[in-house]
Amino acid sequence: MQVKSFFWGLVIALALAFPGLPGTFGKVISIGGQSSDLVLDESRGVLYIANFTANRIEVMSLADYSIRTSINVAPQPSSMAMSPDNRYLVITHFGNYVAPTPSNNALTVIDLTTNGKQTFALGNPPLGVAFGIDGLALVVTTTDYLLFDPALGTTTQIDTITGLVAKTLPVPPANFPPQITTASMTASGDGLTIFGLGGSSNAFTFAYDVTSRTIKPGGIVTSSGGLGPRVVSANQDGTRYMAGWAMVDSKGITNYFPKNSNQFNVGTTLFDSARGVLYSQIPQKTGDAPELKISDVDNLSVRERLQLPENTAGKSVLSADGNTMYAISDSGVLVLPVGSLSAAPRLSVSQEDLVFRGNFCDRRVTSQQLTITDPGGGSTPFSASTATAGVTISPSKGITPATITVSVDANAFQGQNGTTTATLTLQSSKAVNIPSPVRILINSKSPDQRGTIVDVPGNLIDLLADPVRHRFYVIRQDSNQVLVFDGSNYTRIAALRTGNLPSSMAITFDRRYLLVGNSGSQIVNVFDLETLQQSDPIRLPTGNVALSIACSANAILAATQYFDGTHHIIRLDLNSRSGYQPATLGVFKNLTDASVALVASPNGSSIMAVQGDGSVLLYDAVQDTFTVSRKDFASLSGAYAASIFNQYAAGNNLLNSSLVPVKQFESASGAPSGFAFVDQTAFRTTVPGLSAPLGSTAGPVAPAVPSSAAGIIQRLDLTDPAGNITRATRMAESALVGTTGIDSSPFSRTLAPLYDRNAIVNLTVSGFTVLAWDYDASVAPPRLDRVVNAADLGPGLAPGGLISIFGDKLSPVNLATKEIPVPTALGDSCLTVNGLPVPLLFVSPNQINAQLPFEILGNVTLILRTPGGVSDNFNLKVLPGAPGVFRSGVAGPVMDIPTIVRQSNGELLTASNPIHKGDTIVIYLTGLGQTLPAVGTGLPGPSNPPASALNTTQVTLGGVALPLYFAGLSPGEVGVYQINARIPSTVPLGLSVPLSISESGSTTSIDVRVVE
Amino acid sequence: MKHLRLFMKQLCAFGILIGSLAVVPSATAQTWEVGGGVGGSFFTSQSVKNALSSGDVTLSNAVAASFWLANNSSHLIGGELRYDYENTNLKLKSAGTSATLGADTHAFHYDFLLHFTPQGSRLRPFIAAGGGVKLYRGIGKESAFQPLSSLALLTKTSEVKPLISVGAGLKFAVSKSFQVRIEVRDALTPFPKTVIAPAQGDKIGGWLQDFVAMVGLSLTF
Repeated sequence: MQVKSFFWGLVIALALAFPGLPGTFGKVISIGGQSSDLVLDESRGVLYIANFTANRIEVMSLADYSIRTSINVAPQPSSMAMSPDNRYLVITHFGNYVAPTPSNNALTVIDLTTNGKQTFALGNPPLGVAFGIDGLALVVTTTDYLLFDPALGTTTQIDTITGLVAKTLPVPPANFPPQITTASMTASGDGLTIFGLGGSSNAFTFAYDVTSRTIKPGGIVTSSGGLGPRVVSANQDGTRYMAGWAMVDSKGITNYFPKNSNQFNVGTTLFDSARGVLYSQIPQKTGDAPELKISDVDNLSVRERLQLPENTAGKSVLSADGNTMYAISDSGVLVLPVGSLSAAPRLSVSQEDLVFRGNFCDRRVTSQQLTITDPGGGSTPFSASTATAGVTISPSKGITPATITVSVDANAFQGQNGTTTATLTLQSSKAVNIPSPVRILINSKSPDQRGTIVDVPGNLIDLLADPVRHRFYVIRQDSNQVLVFDGSNYTRIAALRTGNLPSSMAITFDRRYLLVGNSGSQIVNVFDLETLQQSDPIRLPTGNVALSIACSANAILAATQYFDGTHHIIRLDLNSRSGYQPATLGVFKNLTDASVALVASPNGSSIMAVQGDGSVLLYDAVQDTFTVSRKDFASLSGAYAASIFNQYAAGNNLLNSSLVPVKQFESASGAPSGFAFVDQTAFRTTVPGLSAPLGSTAGPVAPAVPSSAAGIIQRLDLTDPAGNITRATRMAESALVGTTGIDSSPFSRTLAPLYDRNAIVNLTVSGFTVLAWDYDASVAPPRLDRVVNAADLGPGLAPGGLISIFGDKLSPVNLATKEIPVPTALGDSCLTVNGLPVPLLFVSPNQINAQLPFEILGNVTLILRTPGGVSDNFNLKVLPGAPGVFRSGVAGPVMDIPTIVRQSNGELLTASNPIHKGDTIVIYLTGLGQTLPAVGTGLPGPSNPPASALNTTQVTLGGVALPLYFAGLSPGEVGVYQINARIPSTVPLGLSVPLSISESGSTTSIDVRVVE
Repeated sequence: MKHLRLFMKQLCAFGILIGSLAVVPSATAQTWEVGGGVGGSFFTSQSVKNALSSGDVTLSNAVAASFWLANNSSHLIGGELRYDYENTNLKLKSAGTSATLGADTHAFHYDFLLHFTPQGSRLRPFIAAGGGVKLYRGIGKESAFQPLSSLALLTKTSEVKPLISVGAGLKFAVSKSFQVRIEVRDALTPFPKTVIAPAQGDKIGGWLQDFVAMVGLSLTF
């Protein structure tokens, strides 16, 4: 027993000691050669592996993954397929040798029932073979499509191919089958369609309709050959297939992986139609660690990333039950138990972001907790680390499920005035997945900095205010979503599912639809803004993706990137949900820079295209053509905007109606991020610490890392001929500059005045920052008039209790928070009592709700700091206990009901829901003071064990003492206590019986009705 | 609960008393009747008012069921011990708004019957009068909000009230052993002010009348 315990102890200790070595998913089967194709024969319990270089077919047992036998075949078996009746295995041999070695292109048929083998010579190098449901094999060579009947051994030519060049043998060392044959073929799950990809110096695809025996173009033809990996996979019904990194349906390319290394011999794709996912390895660059992505089929949103033991290298097949994926790999085959992924060790974290809001009231070390679990419920070792000084993690190692504490020493960040982004990275020796790192956002701002930060995790790249609804829209590119936020309380009200890698938004001129361009999908999503439902997308011409969109009163334009790397303007038609590429842009060529952003004037009169190469174009909606094209700058980047008065902003420049620069804004405050015209004024944001592109010589600003400096917002008076900045104000954190999007556009749209002109939203480091419209107005210091407990608004105050402060100019904005721990600065206000920061739950101009720290007692002094200044001292007395029952209950139209609940029916105690003898009641109140165990100020009450009131609490009903089950902090609530009491049979009956709660000499009483 | 126990105690005592009264004449009259009936009950209402508004409180019309054990001690006079049950609602109405709470009533009483035809007649009109007790119970689901709660509170509790019963009816002998009976009764109790409690400062007074029309079947022996 001791030995066993010691063994497991050692295992756990080793796991904890070496968590950094990553776990991997799948088992490698080495075949002693280079595999070129796979055929799964579940009826015989084997996988056939074509060993291209060893000239044999390896037969692997599905039971134990051992290579039990090998079938010697003609040289270079390059492609295989099995007939639908599982009888014939057809193998093509790529023997495109040059003299003096004779060419030996061939085709072998193996009758799997008799093991009979027959080889036929082919006149041209075969690219691949696949069986249709009709039992005939489609064999594609460099010159023709052949139908092969394995029973008769006959071939029929059904079509020809021209212009396809095959590689010749021998090839230089370190070349692999996908680089030699450069082709792949597969049949859809129903056997009705066969798809293929080929071409050594180019890429062409085809689709073969088995029923009609006709060949159709496959949707992709390129001259560059860049379409890797050289793998074709299809879904069950043949409505989608993947050719390399591109997904194609009947209308052309739908989605693709824009960042790809294009290596022919690294990667794979496989549809799992039953689960609606695509398994893929598409490396972003050469040398990337082997990684299998599990993505949604419709828009390639990544659900999971798994670490592979080695690179996949070609075709993959899936078992009929969907539980096991077999992929060609560097060593031979990778066996991936995708159906039992839930049982594999993995890591998951409870939050994407941890937000620490330091402020001038609070320079203490603050901590937050993060829960790390294995989604499958297993015990998986992990280590957590960060490279940012001032951030500590405890414990830094553990086994799931575990809770770790992340602490931030505010003093380490007091030299900065914005938000520092630290990264918490998880590693594990066992976990097979790649957990996303947790973003640790540490904000430290001074009293003069304006704005309220709202945390929004993810890669946010575009911001748009609705011109007629109290909403704004933010693109979260990493999750393929447009997030819809309410403009009054800044809460998220919807998440709209987009195509792959959404890049920009525009609202149609009739204000009905939101259009979303995607840099990884050949569609523009169309959302009805009344219902927030998606309607049919706009299909872009084949090969194009929309990087930027703008809607004028006439045309809807999209700046697109074509397959070959060229960029154009495409005109979209909402009615036909299609687009076309105009031959010219007026008198100008329809050829744009790689970095281009479009923006329409709010009155629909024009669309400006601003380009990274420093040129600008103008579309005139009245003339329905491009009327201006200029290049006054060496480069442009950052902000771009258009006004209703024919003024435009591009980078640091103000342009007139002919796009002639008329003013250059200052650049000392940093790089331009956002710009918005409002009538004859404008708002402009800049990011200090980054070099500003002056629009003349400097190159585009790389997005780099988010700035930890305070952002700057300027209010501009455009009626002033000098265009002077009327006021510059520091924001709570920096705006984003340049986008961090996949297409790395240097342009950013990060500033959105809301249509009701109550607030300005800025896309900033943590998510977005809200500024009041008059954020820069001078304000008087706050005045505190009255401090009461927040429950019954009585004078009794106790440590840890909730209080309400009434006064004037207490905050410039109305704002409530549900953040845990409760922040000590909210909406530019922060409060201290005897110098200790006070967590703030709600702030408004005339009322603040807060929690008194548990540490204070006796005569104390309250001070409030706001952008207007510091309040006078407000002296008050804090008692050890001062119970007050909340009056926040609501029943029908009746409000302000005491929060006393009858446990039997869970309803508030009222005259119509009276106390009965024998009942148990739960009283929710505040002011019971310190607890055991002690709970930190701003943190919720624990549940196991709950925190009991340290002082004795007594409750009487009509003078009869009630037995108490519990008196202490309500689990999960901050500053809210609860008393659970039983009603004995001796209590008096009546319509108005006093229920009294006493603690430490303070008593509060409520009249309640008591019946039998 | 306390009221229920009290009711059961009173019921037992009353039952023993009335049972002994019924048994005494049985030794001489030799005519017994046991039966039951169903019908409809119709309550009168009382008004409740405060400084701002007024309303009516009552119990909803309901189905009533009754069981009796009768003894005809002489040619014209008889007596019967009865149990009456009604499934109803406590009800409060004012200016188009109403509130209800599920309720039931249980009454136990002894009535003297004066027949207008002698024993053995095929048709026996009668009048009845007696007394007993009635238990009112609020049994519905309580809610934190009840409309018109400023007037009265419909309460999930119980209370016992003394009962006066008067009525008239007609017995029809179908055979030697079976009788069909139709009757109308009025059960009067003081208003049950615990299950329909006036709100603070409000008043409800008077009697509550419960008119019950019923058809029944009796076995005579």
